[in-house]
Amino acid sequence: MARDADVPQQIQTDAKIVVKGITSVFHLKKTRTTPAGEFIALNDINLEVRKGEFLVLVGPSGCGKSTLLDILAGLAHPTSGGVYIDGKKVTGPALDRGIVLQGYALFPWRTVRQNVEFGLEIKKVPKQERAAISDNFIHLVGLDGFADRFPHELSGGMKQRVAIARALAYDPEVLLMDEPFAAVDAQTRESLQDELLRIWEATGKTILFVTHSIEEAVFLGDRVAVLTPNPGTLREIVKIDLPRPRHNSDTRSSAEFGWIRRKIWELLQNAPSDARPHPNAVPVADAISPTAAL
Amino acid sequence: MSQAGYMNNYLLRSSGVLLFLTLWETAPRLAWLDPYFVPPLSVVVAEIGLLLGTGDLPIHLLVSSWRGVTGLFLALLIALPLGVILGRWLTGLADALDPLLRVLSQVNPFALLPLFLLFFGIGETAKVAVVTWVTLWPILFYTITATRTVDPLQIKSAAALGVTRSQMLCKVILPAAVPTIFIGIRIGASLTFFILIAAEMLGAGSGLGWLVHNSAMNYLIPRIYAGATFIILLGFLLNRFLLYLEKSLFAWQEYPASWTTAGEIRPYVWRPGKGAAIAGAATLSVILILGACEVRKLNQEAMAGAGGSSGHAKHFGTPVESGSGGF
Repeated sequence: MARDADVPQQIQTDAKIVVKGITSVFHLKKTRTTPAGEFIALNDINLEVRKGEFLVLVGPSGCGKSTLLDILAGLAHPTSGGVYIDGKKVTGPALDRGIVLQGYALFPWRTVRQNVEFGLEIKKVPKQERAAISDNFIHLVGLDGFADRFPHELSGGMKQRVAIARALAYDPEVLLMDEPFAAVDAQTRESLQDELLRIWEATGKTILFVTHSIEEAVFLGDRVAVLTPNPGTLREIVKIDLPRPRHNSDTRSSAEFGWIRRKIWELLQNAPSDARPHPNAVPVADAISPTAAL
Repeated sequence: MSQAGYMNNYLLRSSGVLLFLTLWETAPRLAWLDPYFVPPLSVVVAEIGLLLGTGDLPIHLLVSSWRGVTGLFLALLIALPLGVILGRWLTGLADALDPLLRVLSQVNPFALLPLFLLFFGIGETAKVAVVTWVTLWPILFYTITATRTVDPLQIKSAAALGVTRSQMLCKVILPAAVPTIFIGIRIGASLTFFILIAAEMLGAGSGLGWLVHNSAMNYLIPRIYAGATFIILLGFLLNRFLLYLEKSLFAWQEYPASWTTAGEIRPYVWRPGKGAAIAGAATLSVILILGACEVRKLNQEAMAGAGGSSGHAKHFGTPVESGSGGF
């Protein structure tokens, strides 16, 4: 990181998460058909997230939203810029951030309880305390009675609940979620969304949620950050003023919900196309639809 | 499936074996086969009983087990760490070494027996070395593949917690890889059994392979069949036991196709606990300690009796040792 020296190690801020001038460039190797080159995954992203806020990153595939989440998790390093949590620069992964991935990523050799206790073992929480904590979080995600089941005995929705409980159990202040509900069916997805809002209200965590579904973004978020690809740019941050608590049954049918959804859809539609087109670029409207996954 | 259905299925599945055993008994008795060369089943079973009664069979079993277990342990000791290192950290080196390892794995220790004798001398070392050499490869290859193909998502979700290298190895990579590694161990163990019997036939003064070879040299035909049947039974039981262990140790997996169960019902699976682990360790220790003592004793007897009567002649009371004096 040549420009790392220019990035301060600490900044003065009230925000929980500060993303400052993040640029991420991938070097593409020369292949038989394409010359060597650079691919700008993220271009000068600036973002602030309040403590306890639910912020959603929405955009079509290839807009760099997962890369941004990896950088926030400390699993990837930006080419320039920095991420700050409570004003301190993120240098690598740590237990102050929990992560929930799309493919559940549960450990199949561990029972539900042992999966939930994984982070506690890493945190070196004594065994007696672990049981009480995992009981609490298994109850929170509504899996009482399944503590001693193995992941292959659970449905997709239940697995994702375990993944959420596992990420919450070691008490991180920030929860990073990378398209967590993309692999489950529509009904399960809606109930998981309701559940997530309930858990968020109960725990007061700061949540950063990545999705490609506009509906999901509008339903869940306090604010929605709209990302457009080629290169990955933060187009606009839309404030969602829908009243809370929200429920899938009534929130979605309100006129305001439809209006915000339309606005975000237009933002993604009218993305400037002056940037260098990527050889595999797909028109934004094709890559993302307002009705995708409800 | 009902209990009765399960039993029926079981009968159906074993009917082939039963038919074979029936033919074995009747064919020599009805003189379809020469009973001198093919003794009926009952004669062979009686011979096994006799050998068990005199204590010969248990001693040869112990000696063979000691050689097998020692060879397998040595193979594990070499192949497991090497496999994890090549599969996880030195993947470039693993790719570069792959052709060499594949060639080496095809080296048949019997083809290169003179070289083995040169490096490992005659006696127990050579036999254990042959077993180790053959068992090493499946364990090594399966370990490399297993540690290499751990789900990247599982690694990512552990890495996001900032786990250390050793935590990643012990809590993610090894547990994820162990079912595949166990398949390598199971294949290795079956090979151990095959190769050991062959090695004992080529040159040994004791062991199950020697028992069969020695009987053949002395035209003790029922004893050949008794030894061979016992070896088949042992190999079958070993394989069954390892499959069963695999199924119960890794019950958290979805059933791979190889675990065919009779019918759709999921049978009760015994989960090994601490008691089973202690019992297993105790059995292996007994084999290692008693086997070592017995092998030592037999070899000393063989040395002492090398001039005159063979040390093993007295086990059978038959004149023996034709071309089986040792490696």
